[in-house]
Parts: sequence; structure tokens; C-alpha cells
Amino acid sequence: MQTHHFFFKGQQLRLHPLKAIYWEEEDALLLADLHLGKAVHFRKAGIPVPRAAGDANWDKLIYLFLEFKPERVLFLGDLFHSTYNSEWQEFAGLIGQFPDIRFELVQGNHDILSPADYEAAQITIYNQPLRIGPFLLSHHPIAAPPEDSYNLAGHIHPCVWLKGNGRQKLKLPCFYFGEDTGLLPAFGAFTGTARIQPQNGDQVFVIAEDAVVEM
Amino acid sequence: MSNSELIKIAGGWFQEKGWEPFPFQLEAWEHYLNGYHGLVNAPTGSGKTYALILPIFLEFIKAHPDEIGRENNGLQAIWITPIRALTKEIQQAAQRAAQDLGLNWNIAIRSGDTKTSERTRQKKNPPEILITTPESLHLFLASKGYPKFFKNLKTVVVDEWHELVGSKRGVQMELALSRLKGMLPGLKVWGISATIGNMDEALAVLLGNSLVEGQYKVVKANIKKEIVVESILPDEIERFPWAGHLGIKLLHKVIPIVETGQSTLIFTNTRAQCEIWYQNILEVAPDLAGAIAMHHGSISRELRDWVENALHDGILKAVVCTSSLDLGVDFRPVENIVQIGSPKGVARFMQRAGRSGHQPGALSKIYFVPTHSLELMEAAALRQAIQQGQLESRIPYIRSFDVLIQYLITLAVSEGFRPKEILSEVQGTFCYRSISEAEWAWCLDFITTGGASLYAYDEYKKVEIEDGIFKVNSRRVAMRHRLQIGTITNDVSMQIKYVKGGRLGTIEEWFIAQLKPGDIFWFAGRSLELVRIKDMTVQVRRSKHKTGKIPSWLGGRVPLSSQLSTFLRIKMDQARKGELLDIELKTLGPLLDLQQERSLVPKDHEFLIEYFKSREGYHLLFYPFEGRYVHEGLGALMAHRISKIQPISFSIAMNDYGFELLSDIEIPIDQALEKGLLSTAHLQRDIEASINSVEMAKRCFRDIASISGLIFKGFPGKQKKDRHLQSSSQLFFEVFDDYEPNNLLLLQAYDEVMTFQLEEVRLRRALERIGQQSVILSTPDKATPFSFPIIVDRLRERLSSEKLADRIKRMTLRLE
Repeated sequence: MQTHHFFFKGQQLRLHPLKAIYWEEEDALLLADLHLGKAVHFRKAGIPVPRAAGDANWDKLIYLFLEFKPERVLFLGDLFHSTYNSEWQEFAGLIGQFPDIRFELVQGNHDILSPADYEAAQITIYNQPLRIGPFLLSHHPIAAPPEDSYNLAGHIHPCVWLKGNGRQKLKLPCFYFGEDTGLLPAFGAFTGTARIQPQNGDQVFVIAEDAVVEM
Repeated sequence: MSNSELIKIAGGWFQEKGWEPFPFQLEAWEHYLNGYHGLVNAPTGSGKTYALILPIFLEFIKAHPDEIGRENNGLQAIWITPIRALTKEIQQAAQRAAQDLGLNWNIAIRSGDTKTSERTRQKKNPPEILITTPESLHLFLASKGYPKFFKNLKTVVVDEWHELVGSKRGVQMELALSRLKGMLPGLKVWGISATIGNMDEALAVLLGNSLVEGQYKVVKANIKKEIVVESILPDEIERFPWAGHLGIKLLHKVIPIVETGQSTLIFTNTRAQCEIWYQNILEVAPDLAGAIAMHHGSISRELRDWVENALHDGILKAVVCTSSLDLGVDFRPVENIVQIGSPKGVARFMQRAGRSGHQPGALSKIYFVPTHSLELMEAAALRQAIQQGQLESRIPYIRSFDVLIQYLITLAVSEGFRPKEILSEVQGTFCYRSISEAEWAWCLDFITTGGASLYAYDEYKKVEIEDGIFKVNSRRVAMRHRLQIGTITNDVSMQIKYVKGGRLGTIEEWFIAQLKPGDIFWFAGRSLELVRIKDMTVQVRRSKHKTGKIPSWLGGRVPLSSQLSTFLRIKMDQARKGELLDIELKTLGPLLDLQQERSLVPKDHEFLIEYFKSREGYHLLFYPFEGRYVHEGLGALMAHRISKIQPISFSIAMNDYGFELLSDIEIPIDQALEKGLLSTAHLQRDIEASINSVEMAKRCFRDIASISGLIFKGFPGKQKKDRHLQSSSQLFFEVFDDYEPNNLLLLQAYDEVMTFQLEEVRLRRALERIGQQSVILSTPDKATPFSFPIIVDRLRERLSSEKLADRIKRMTLRLE
């Protein structure tokens, strides 16, 4: 698996095909829209999503933590899909194995667990956008970010349509960097995507299996 | 009272009305009274209702000769009809006969439109006859105390069985019958069906394990009607479009038919086409305003009722409609039928033709309006197919685990069920007669534990087991399930209402999502302005603007039946030989000359492949004339075989005549033909490989996911609350494919593709036929009359053997 080096706003970003950004200057891993617990949430309501669908998330997280050994992991919202269920405990157990990493969450619309749950898992929560360096990190994209900052957000689960000669057509999840907002792809398995329509001048990096390719 | 005395009573009633019973009616009465199950084979409008409604009354008279007028006898009979529109007419006919015979019966309708108060009343005090749909019958099975409600039931009549037998609604019917028969061993099952290609199979599906020699009878009406097919011909075939599906170009020739006839039905193939034709007729002939109307499945029941009544009373000159008027009430004043575009099947065409000419001995005349030039050939094919009485078969679904899972939860929601008892009932149906113990166990596991679960602690909750009884305890799960009962799956649709009130109909959400308030669109022949969207309701007001968007409704394209395909090949051959017996073939002459000039019109021992380059890429076209489904399978198969030679990406398009493989790089066709592109060797292996590489199974899974309750669309009007439970069938398909490859619902999707699209037998037969022909590879300079309608089609399947990263190197972002 290969990361794509992207120098942006004076920062070294490494776009990873597992749908994460490693930010070198801050030694931070950025992840958006994990929607952990979604499979179990469905199952509790009698909708039989295979439990294993959620397990893919654990493998990917462990891989990324070991690969980059970041100082901090920043979740850009929708970390947990819904109300408390057993998957939260599994997740807390997993991140407990990485005592050297600081875990932080910029809350999103799905993050409705009680503060005590986050505290027990030793996750710092922010209910406001978080400013670090040139970036303003949020869950929802911010309509007009302050002039001196660039917004990095999740929530959208972006994907784009590609077209080619011979009526070829493909839909792929992507990293998207617009004029004042950048979007991360949704990390979680079983989450789906929504099409975005890039404008001229925007930068789009699609995820093609184990590679990140700039379009 | 003896049976012959009883039959005399019915005959006497006919005489009072000034009618004479048909022999098939007498026959049906007799067999019914003798206790047989059976099937009445009779077309719409032949008196089929009386063939089976009267003996239900006679049987009661026989059992209660001294208390004929007794009230509150409990539910005696269920009459199933596929569409609600038919219920009222049946109710009136039955009520009239019951009254005249001195019975004090309550004959009630139960459908989605039935008010809650009426439902409660029906439950407390069951009517003697209940006229309902398969879905509503399942809703009864989902309500507590159903065994008591059905305890007096003597018979179930399934009307228009030919409409149900080839669909999952038919499977639903089989399951409901299995439960009723399980509770009531003496229950009689009767069906009424128009003629289809597989009558014997239709009977077997209806009766299931009651198909026992000596216990059933088939009654044939033998009513034959003359049908005349007349094509509306373009004046100059050279100037008539090679591709298209609207047919508006011939509008000026349809207007005189409407103007001179007493009343005309104009059948279109889609709701969008229906809207467009209606609007165009009014534009060209404004004096018809008020005298024409529109009828399709998305228009509200109230508006449709009005149209049907007006047709009945003969106050409309024309109705533009879709298959929504295929069935149903007789419209005696209808004189002319117009079919726009290919009806795709012989039976459907005949059914539509039969909507006219109700006077005894009258001809049924149907005008065929082609939407593109080659379609003219279909008219000739249809004519011959009708003459030879070649009707399509309706292939029944088998092993539909989605419907079974829905049904098991239905039973768990109401009374709960014991698996052993239900398994033996289910095995008695045609659909599930081959279900294995392991498959049954999987279904039970799926509804109780949510499928293979290796976890010690799992919160899955749906069906629970208490003392060996499988039941649903959660009220929420139960309520959600009741809302989802049924097998007709639609996109999320929204109500359209005037701001001031008044329902117009429904529209799919994705269409409305493209509009902003203030935008104009056409619906039900009205120009409407979108005012706002509120709680899944689209509020509109009338607009004076003439231009606006016309909605289209997503929906599969109907493939040409194999019967019609066969006749199409015959006509093609006649045309090539110059046997121009049909006016359509004569008219097509210049077009075929052009095909011959640019490429070739294949003779019957030749198989044509065309290969040429355009700005779009490299086009490779095959013409088996086997109908859309077979072409979809063959297209994927050919693409797969070529893609094994070298990494290559294809987009595949098809119509009923042939299919196209399009690539952005040169296609190694010579090499592929040498390597046995069209061979039947390793066919099964290659079919399995190609099915995995295209999207067909994923598409089939859409319905399966919805029927089996994986997809929850939310409570009506309360969409928001359950947002955390929303998902798409595609996501389910992917996680099952990744984590539960043995999931029976997933396997069912592949099975359905195999049965309906990639059926090995049909593909093999087609390839064997081609194998006897000599392959001619023609390389025209540009598109030919044969290829044009296919290459302009945008609805495409895709298949690639290239690495994704390599593929996207030659692609760009789509910005529009």
C-alpha cells in the first residue's frame, strides 16, 4: 500500500489508501466517519448486518497505528454510529493498547455517547472546530471558514465519478481539496458514499484499491 | 339439495338477467360443487367472475337449505385479485348475485385503502367474502388471532393468476395458501387465468401439494376473438429515426384515429412516455381538451377512478395509459386500441387488443405505432405470433428465500410458529419443494441470530424462541415488519398534493431532489409549480407555464419475450429473401438496402458481427436476435472471454436485436474468434466468471434486500427518526460478499441472474445456433441501421480485466 505525498498549505500530508491522512508536522493521523458500532446498532434493531463487517475497522486501525506510530489521532466526527453498544468497549480496549497515542475527537452529528464514555476510553472531545496550524478541523464542512484558515472536514463521505473513452464510468471514494475546504473519505466499513461535483481548480485524489491517485 | 338442482338455481338467476350461462361456467359450477380444486382458463370480460362466485353461494345454500338468509356466517371465501382497481367491480357483481339468491352476505374489500375503522369492524365481525390482494392477505397473517378469523373459510379463489404466477407476489400467494391449507385441511383452491404458454405449470404452482390426480379440474372457456393488427407507417422510411422510444413523430397519424373513433385507448410503455404523449396530443389537437385523459400507476387512486368511470360512461374520446389499464374493468365503449412502441410480448399485446370490440362477434383492432424503424418488423412478428397462438410462459420463481424470510417473520409477528409444522407446509409449495433441512435451518438462524454469529455476546434481536415457538416480542420490530410486507419494491416515493389539498399521485424522490421551489414540472397532464417539500409530501400549485421537466420513473426495461424473438428472426429471414407478405417488411425495404450497402443483412445461415471505430472508441456488435435478457448474458460472456486475452475494459449495451461491446482500445476480435469466442466449451465456467464481474447480481439484490427486510425506508412521515438504521442494498451486497459468502440471500441474487439472464440452457442454445452459422465479420465505415439504436443507448453494463489504477490513468473527472 502506498501513500500519496501531498504538500499543501505548507504542510506535508500523506494520503493513505486506507482513507486516512498522516500529517507529518503534527505527527498526527486524521480519520473521519468511522461509524463504529454501526453493524451492532443494526443488529440490535433486528437487521442482520454481518458482525464481521465492523471487524474490518479494527484491522485497519491497528495497521495505521503501527505504520505511523503517531503522537496523536484526530477523529473528525462520527466516530461512533449511535447509542452505546458492545462495540464501544471493544474500541476502548483497542486504543488502550496504544498508551503513547493521544486520541481526540471533534464531535459529529452521530457522536451522541455520554461524556463519561469518552472519558473512560481516554478520548479528548471537542464540541467546536479545532484549530491546529493552518487547518481548522471539523466534522461538518464550515460554510465560510475564517480567512487565515483552511477547513478539513468529514461528514460528506465523498466520492467522484470518472469517465473515459468508450463510455467507461467509475465511481470511487476520494480525498477532496477545494478552495477553502478539504474533505476526507469515510473511514468506516459499511458506510457508503455521496457524489461530489468538483469545480475547476479543485484537487481530487481517488482511492483505487491499494493506491491513491491524483486526478 | 342435489348439485343439479343447485345449478338450476344459478341458471335460473342467469335467465332472470336475460343471459345464457356459457358451457365453461356450468362446468365450473359442477366441479366446484363436487369438491374439486381447479383452474378456470378464461380471458378478461368472459364472465369468469360468475364461473366461481356463484358456486360459493350454491355451496352455502346446499349446507343451509333452511336458513339461506342467515347472517354472520363467518368468512366463507377469499377472492384474491392482483390489483385494487378490480375489487369494486367484483364486489358489485357478487353482492348483486347474493342478494338475488336470497343470501344476507356481507361482501367486503380489504386493501391498502381500507380505513382503520372498517378494518376493526371486519376483524370483529368477518364478512362472508373478502376481496383482497396477496399483500393484504399476508397482513392478516401478521395480525394476532388470525386462525380464528379464518376458521370458517371454505375456499380461496385467485383471480388473474397469470398476472401473479411469474412474480414474487405469486410466491407470496403460494405461502399464504400453504398456511391456510395447513389450518384448514378441507380448503378448496381455485384459480382463474388467461391463457399463457405454461398453463400446466401455472396450475402446479397454484395447487402445490394439492395437485393430486383426481382431486382437481381444469375448465377451459375456449372463447376466441379475432385480432387485427394494423401498423401506422411512416410516409418515408428514409426519414424515420433509427433509434428512439417515444414515437411522437407519428402523432399526426394517431390524431385522426382518436377523432373518428368513439373511444380510444393509447397504450404507452412508460409513465414518462404517457405524460409526453398526453401533452403532445393536446398541443396538436387543443379541441380534444376535456375529452382526453391520462392513466398510469403513479396517479392517485381518486383521479384514476374518475378516468375509469368516465371511460365506462363513454364520455372520453381517448385515454393515454400504461399497463395500468391492462387489467380491470371492461370498458365497453372502447373501440380502438393504439400501442405505441413494442409491447415486448405477444400475450401483453393480445390482452391490450382485447380491450376493444366487446360487442359479440366484433373484431379487436389494434394499431401499432413504431418508435424507430426496425421496430416495424416487430409488428409483423406479432401478427404471425398471434395467428399461431404462440403465447409466452410466465416462469415461476423458485427458492425465493427473501419472500420466505419475510413470511416467517410475518408468522412470528402474529401468533408465532413452530418450525416443524411450518416446514412441512412450506415444502408443500411449488416454490420451496426442494428446500433442504440445512437451508431451512439457515433461514431460522438468520431470523433469530442474524446469521452466522461467532460472537459470545451479540445484541441481535428479532425473532425469539420461547417454548419452541418462534415469535417477535419487540413491538417496534413488529410494526416495522408490518409496514414492509409485500414484494413490490419501489424507490422511495413522495405524495404530490396541491397546497390547498387534493392528492395528485406519487413521484419518486430522486426526481424531486433535482428540483428547487419555483421549478415547473408536468404530472398527470398538469403543469405544476413546486412550492415546498414537507414531510415526504410535495406541495404544488397549478402553473401556466407550458415548458417544464417531465418526470421519469426508474424501472427495468421489459425484454422481448423469446416467443417474439423467434418470430422476429423469421421475419428478418423473410425480408432478406424478399418474401414481403407483411406491409411492414415492404416499408422497411429501403432501410434493409442501406444495411446491406454499409454492412450486411445476414442470411439465415449467417451470423453477423460488425466492428468499427468512431470518436467514442471501438465498437463490436453482435446480432443474435434473441431478446434483451439473452443478450445481456451473451454480452457479459463475450466481454469476459475477450478480456482474458488481454487487459481491456468494456462497456456493454444491448437491445432486443443485438448487443455491443465498446472499448477505448482496439479489440482483438480476430484472435478472440480463433480462440473460440462463440464456442460452447467451458460455457458454465465462463458464465460463472462473467456473472461475478458485472453488476447484474447486485441489481437483483436490490429487491431481495428490500423484501427480506434488510432495507428499512423509515416510517411514513417520520423519516428522520430512524435515520441511523438506513442503508443501501449495495452496502449489504458488498458486506455479504466479503464476510458471508454463503448467505442464502446473496446466493439467491446470483441464482436469479442465472434463471432470468444468464440461464445456461438458453445461452448454450443460442451459441449452438450461432455455431451452425458462418460468422461474418463486417467492418463498416460507420454506424449501420442495425447498430445505431444499440450504440446510442446509455444504459450500460461494464466489465474490465485491467488493474483499477491502470484504468483510471486514461480517465478524467466527470464534472457535469
